Amino acid sequence: MAKKPTPPSKTSKASERHALALAPTLALAREVYDQLYAGEIPRMRLPLRTKQNIAFQMREGVWKLGRAMGTRSARKRDGALMLLRTFCLVDFINEMAAENKTSTLRELYYISEGWQDGKFHSEDESNLLIEDLEVLCERLREDFRLHPEENGASVIGDLTLKERNRKGLVKSINCRDDVGDGGYALPFNVEKEKIELVKTGAKFVIAIECGGMVDRLAENGFDEEHHALLLHLKGQPARSTRRFLKRLNEELKLPVVVFTDGDPWSFRIFASVAYGAIKTAHLSHYLATPSAEFLGVTPSDIETYQLPSDKLTEQDVRALQAELTDPRFQTAEWRSEIELMLKNGKKAEQQSLAKYGLNYVTEKYLPEKLGELGMI
Amino acid sequence: MPGTPSLAQQLGAKQREISVAEFFERNRQILGFDNPLRAALTTVKEAVDNALDACEEARVLPEIQVEIAKEGTERLRIAVEDNGPGIVKKQIPNVFARLLYGSRFHANRQSRGQQGIGISAAVLYAALTTARPARIRSKVAEEEAAHVAELLIDTQHNQPRIVSEELELWDRPQGTRVELVLKARYTRGRQSPFDYLRNTAIVNPHARIVLIEPDGTRITWDRVSTEVPPVPKEIPPHPHGLELGELAYRLKASKFTSLRETLTKDFAGVTPRALREVLALGKFTGKESPEEVHGEELERLLRVLHEVPLLPPNTEALSPIGPLLIKRGLRNVLGEIRPDFFAPPVSRPPKVRGGNPFLVEVGLVYGGGLPADQPMQLLRFANRVPLLFQQGACAITTAVSNLDWRRYGLDQKGGNGLPVGPCLLLVHLASTKVPFTSEAKEAVAEDPEIDKELTLALQGAARHLRTHLSRRSRRDLASEKFIIIQRILPQLAEKASRLAGKPVPDLTPVITKIMDVVALEATSGPGPSPSESSVTVELTNYTPRARVLELFVEMPPEDLASATLEPLPEGTDAELGRAWWTLEKLAPSARSRLTLRFPKSCEVELNDLDWFIAGVDEAHLLGAESLPGDWEVRLPRAIIEAAEGASAESSRDEAEVDYDGEEAHAALEDE
Repeated sequence: MAKKPTPPSKTSKASERHALALAPTLALAREVYDQLYAGEIPRMRLPLRTKQNIAFQMREGVWKLGRAMGTRSARKRDGALMLLRTFCLVDFINEMAAENKTSTLRELYYISEGWQDGKFHSEDESNLLIEDLEVLCERLREDFRLHPEENGASVIGDLTLKERNRKGLVKSINCRDDVGDGGYALPFNVEKEKIELVKTGAKFVIAIECGGMVDRLAENGFDEEHHALLLHLKGQPARSTRRFLKRLNEELKLPVVVFTDGDPWSFRIFASVAYGAIKTAHLSHYLATPSAEFLGVTPSDIETYQLPSDKLTEQDVRALQAELTDPRFQTAEWRSEIELMLKNGKKAEQQSLAKYGLNYVTEKYLPEKLGELGMI
Repeated sequence: MPGTPSLAQQLGAKQREISVAEFFERNRQILGFDNPLRAALTTVKEAVDNALDACEEARVLPEIQVEIAKEGTERLRIAVEDNGPGIVKKQIPNVFARLLYGSRFHANRQSRGQQGIGISAAVLYAALTTARPARIRSKVAEEEAAHVAELLIDTQHNQPRIVSEELELWDRPQGTRVELVLKARYTRGRQSPFDYLRNTAIVNPHARIVLIEPDGTRITWDRVSTEVPPVPKEIPPHPHGLELGELAYRLKASKFTSLRETLTKDFAGVTPRALREVLALGKFTGKESPEEVHGEELERLLRVLHEVPLLPPNTEALSPIGPLLIKRGLRNVLGEIRPDFFAPPVSRPPKVRGGNPFLVEVGLVYGGGLPADQPMQLLRFANRVPLLFQQGACAITTAVSNLDWRRYGLDQKGGNGLPVGPCLLLVHLASTKVPFTSEAKEAVAEDPEIDKELTLALQGAARHLRTHLSRRSRRDLASEKFIIIQRILPQLAEKASRLAGKPVPDLTPVITKIMDVVALEATSGPGPSPSESSVTVELTNYTPRARVLELFVEMPPEDLASATLEPLPEGTDAELGRAWWTLEKLAPSARSRLTLRFPKSCEVELNDLDWFIAGVDEAHLLGAESLPGDWEVRLPRAIIEAAEGASAESSRDEAEVDYDGEEAHAALEDE
């Protein structure tokens, strides 16, 4: 499997990107070589990705890694293996670049069958290694031609963008006029060399948890009537979805509101969109949109709109209690909403608004809530 | 009040003889028949114990078959068959259908059964629960046919009742088969017949035992020894263990006419000098007729017999299993769980308590399929009989629990109680008189002398365990390091160098820094000639410095005497079985080799050789120990110098958090 690395092609922007992205690994290889030459045990230093070393950066409004460092040393077997795998992975990325290929994380796991002793024993190990590489290079895994299994979500609304497709052709797409009812599907790579945001007639973005609600809004013509971009989060949003949302927010100056179910897990969806997830804290500055606002369904909405509700499960209650100690939810509004949910013991889906008819969400609920947020 | 009988008269009218059989009928739990599961076990146990004792006495290798079959819903048919000497026709009813009848009750030696209650209690229980007679078939070698008898017990008079009797041909030279139908239930598991037979097979490696379970499953424990253990000698009772009744019985039964003769010939340990002292202190002439010593005289005699120092009793009445057979028995029966380690079994020399000799043996097995998160499995044995009940009340358990196993590498809460770990412990107590806590013979009673011996034996076995565990953990650590230097590091160096565009550098300095040990590897193989075997020793200096090392070996002196050593050692101590070499200076990664050849007849195993090294401290040694301080072998100056310049540079980056260590992987809260 290990072949001579192909020098990055000058013709492709993506190749340059990956070569640049991998620069720190070349420095690491030189460092390891120097250590070996000097008769020292190879080692590298990495910021610790532990709970204790993840801090909420009030100024940026996102979660980031702290300063504590750990040493990965070949003195121990696990350390030696991870060092070896780092270089195996770099080889593999270079090979993919030479052939203009990409790979899923799952595929990478199987590719490692050819890495002799470097072979992964579990998918945890491959995920950890990629996160290490992201930390080391301060880049996204997509920059290394690696992407998760699932694609990003979809967008509907008046947004024009240019996508360079897999044949290298640039296509201009309007996400309202040029797409079917499913909307524009986000590729896993949403970086600038892949997607260029051209223009938009929209005034804000609604990021929506469930597909059914996206369809409802589209069918009711909400996007056109209120100049909104509808973005389907597909549950806990993929990295590319969060990255895309951040680009819409930063480059097109579009405010972002998040519309989810009214339960503790949906609150975490919002937190990862707005503040960054703990697991990807090293990338929060790439992925989080700190100005995003939570639209609903809030616990007080369940009362105000008398929504059909379900009882909280034990896990729900534990999740809420964990959120009470989570610095991301330490605002007065969040505390009172979470405490209200705990008190009432009720949760509701966003589609429960259909209790009042199919048009209720677009004619009553959203205009009222967006009005409160000053969006319309 | 005339006409009314007195209270004594009233009570007297109700008083009558209670037959022994009747007593046991009402107290069946004493004998282990209190529930159907237990009844199955006790029946098998009593029959098998008898069979083993009979075979031993007849010097026959035991072949025992236990068949358990369902008979209706709540009943079992249990048949136990042996190839023992058989029982003559006249005795069959007495042996099987009369309580307290046996040949061993008065014999002062180690035996399995002692009271002669066991098998007839099973017969009684069967009759009580199913009204079915016991069917006994027995053939002695001298006769052509087997006697078959169906028996019940007359519980009023403790007499056998013969239901039927006949002759039958049996195609075997000799043997006995007992068949009972009784209310009982069979399952495998703890305290089951299966458990009992398995444990019996461990301590009776000369027996072949077959169990056929109700569902037809057939389990065979084959013999691994073809030597019938010697029959323990019957020895005269030692006065220190006597009580008044026993002394009276012995005096009465004596065939000698004078006290002087009786004391020296019917009892053990009474030397002429001791006799003089006993007679003087007790104010006896020695000419008294033994039968006529009673009352105050008898008590006086016992008192002086206890006071006067006597020779300790002869310990030949004991039949230890012995280290070799304990190991073979454990290996044979526990083979399928593939333990990592069989500790060399400990067999303590015989000791005496209260006139009765006893000895303790301990075997220990570790690892393999034994459960690591459970308390240690303790197999208790008394006179080769497994003890399955009352573990908590047994002196053996107390001794095991009182040992601080944490010092020997096992988990133990608070240093007390049964330790937790993949460990199985066999403890055997052999004695002419095992002090049981009750007639049920399920637990050994506390006794300071026995406890002392138990503790010493357990400590001996536990020390072997500790050595094994510390060697293993160092081996594990070393094998991890060998994987790094032999596989991972070369691949890592190749990749890093290629990315850096440089040739792969010499890895020796890094290898020695990672290993940082002097490794000794001994391998055994065939010698240059077919009559020899050889042991090759390789010593590699995986440390960053050149070292002058001195190598020492210790082995059984007789092995050293017949060994050929290459190169010739610098010194030897024939008496202690020791030899030593000063090796030429070893550069980092350099290796030195020695060969030891032994004649095949020595049966030398790698385990018989202990290796010691001077010139590097203990923490940097692999496959050898550091030289114990008491060897008093003078070391050359070079070694002393080398040992003093201990490597301090090795742990430079240990202070930082290990990125791939446990603490860096504290679970992140996932979304």
